[in-house]
Amino acid sequence: MSVATGTITLRFFGALRQAIGQREVGLPWAGATVEEVLRRFADESSEEVRSFIFDRQGRRWRSLLLLLNEEPVEDSQATRVADGDILALLLPLAGG
Amino acid sequence: MADFSFTEEQIERYSRHIILPEVGGEGQRKLLRARVLVVGAGGLGSPVALYLAAAGVGAIGMVDSDTVELSNLQRQVLHTTADLGVSKALSAKATMEAINPDCVVTPHQLRLTAQNVLEVIAGYDLVVDGSDNFPTRYLVNDACVIAGKPLSHAGILRFEGQVTTILPGKGPCYRCLYPEPPPPGLVPSCQQAGVLGATAGVMGTIQSTEVLKLILGVGEPLVGRLLLYDGLEMAFRIVRVLRQPDCPVCGEHPTITAPIDYEEFCGVTPMGAHGLAGAAAARKEVVA
Repeated sequence: MSVATGTITLRFFGALRQAIGQREVGLPWAGATVEEVLRRFADESSEEVRSFIFDRQGRRWRSLLLLLNEEPVEDSQATRVADGDILALLLPLAGG
Repeated sequence: MADFSFTEEQIERYSRHIILPEVGGEGQRKLLRARVLVVGAGGLGSPVALYLAAAGVGAIGMVDSDTVELSNLQRQVLHTTADLGVSKALSAKATMEAINPDCVVTPHQLRLTAQNVLEVIAGYDLVVDGSDNFPTRYLVNDACVIAGKPLSHAGILRFEGQVTTILPGKGPCYRCLYPEPPPPGLVPSCQQAGVLGATAGVMGTIQSTEVLKLILGVGEPLVGRLLLYDGLEMAFRIVRVLRQPDCPVCGEHPTITAPIDYEEFCGVTPMGAHGLAGAAAARKEVVA
């Protein structure tokens, strides 16, 4: 397990931004995998925020699009975040 | 199709296009011959319809089953206070044809379903998604992939928008980005969360630009790129998005081979394809 340290930024869009009440948060979790970041963030968040990311069985919704430094995350369990990285969580927008 | 001559009036009407090297007389003829379907005559559909009509797109279909309501007029600039209670598709037709008599508008006063979507889009070269709900968005995406029609997609909420262009077989489709809709009730609609009217204008105008570029065959469309707009920050970000080999509709082994209605897959299983595959399989059984 990596022991890297440093701060990453989670950036939110759409309904998730509204639920969290801010555009982004800084977290000292550099070195973790994207999947670990999401789990940890969900565990420390309200039930409402959590429900945007995971279902009741703890499986991640497929309606969440993840971008690390504006590039698609292809494997959230293999991709690790580094100091200064920005992980964006996007949901589709229904409105028209 | 044989070339046709412009009338004096058309030369004047389209003069600002014709002097553009990217358009010219030939490009303007392409626009006049083009057939575009706009799904939704609402916030996004309004600017799209206005700019396509003004640009001289010759045939435009407007899909909308609703009538004009007072709460629409804050952003749906196709309609006026005098249109309250009128079918949006008919109101759109009247506005668009008043702007440009070269544009013939076909109103489709219906809701797209798995049963009618392929028939409706068959008469058009390109489709614009300006709908306001996930069932229609997924249905239109699937139908365009199945029929091989280019699709301009945009969605808005509050001060935010997302827009991309889908060329089936050449870049990712909507399901490559978002394989399944969010669980019902989780993501709010504009009715629930609000929308700045001008957000629809910004995103719809980008969709119009994309459609006109595709018809003209110029520039680089937003294929494999998702444009994220944040009106509060006034930031535009373009992010790369990938085609997914396991996409249920445009992937290597598609499980959705015919349009399916949202109701059939709203009981989705997260991180598992069997909700979709099951719905598609169930449909195949019914069809068979």
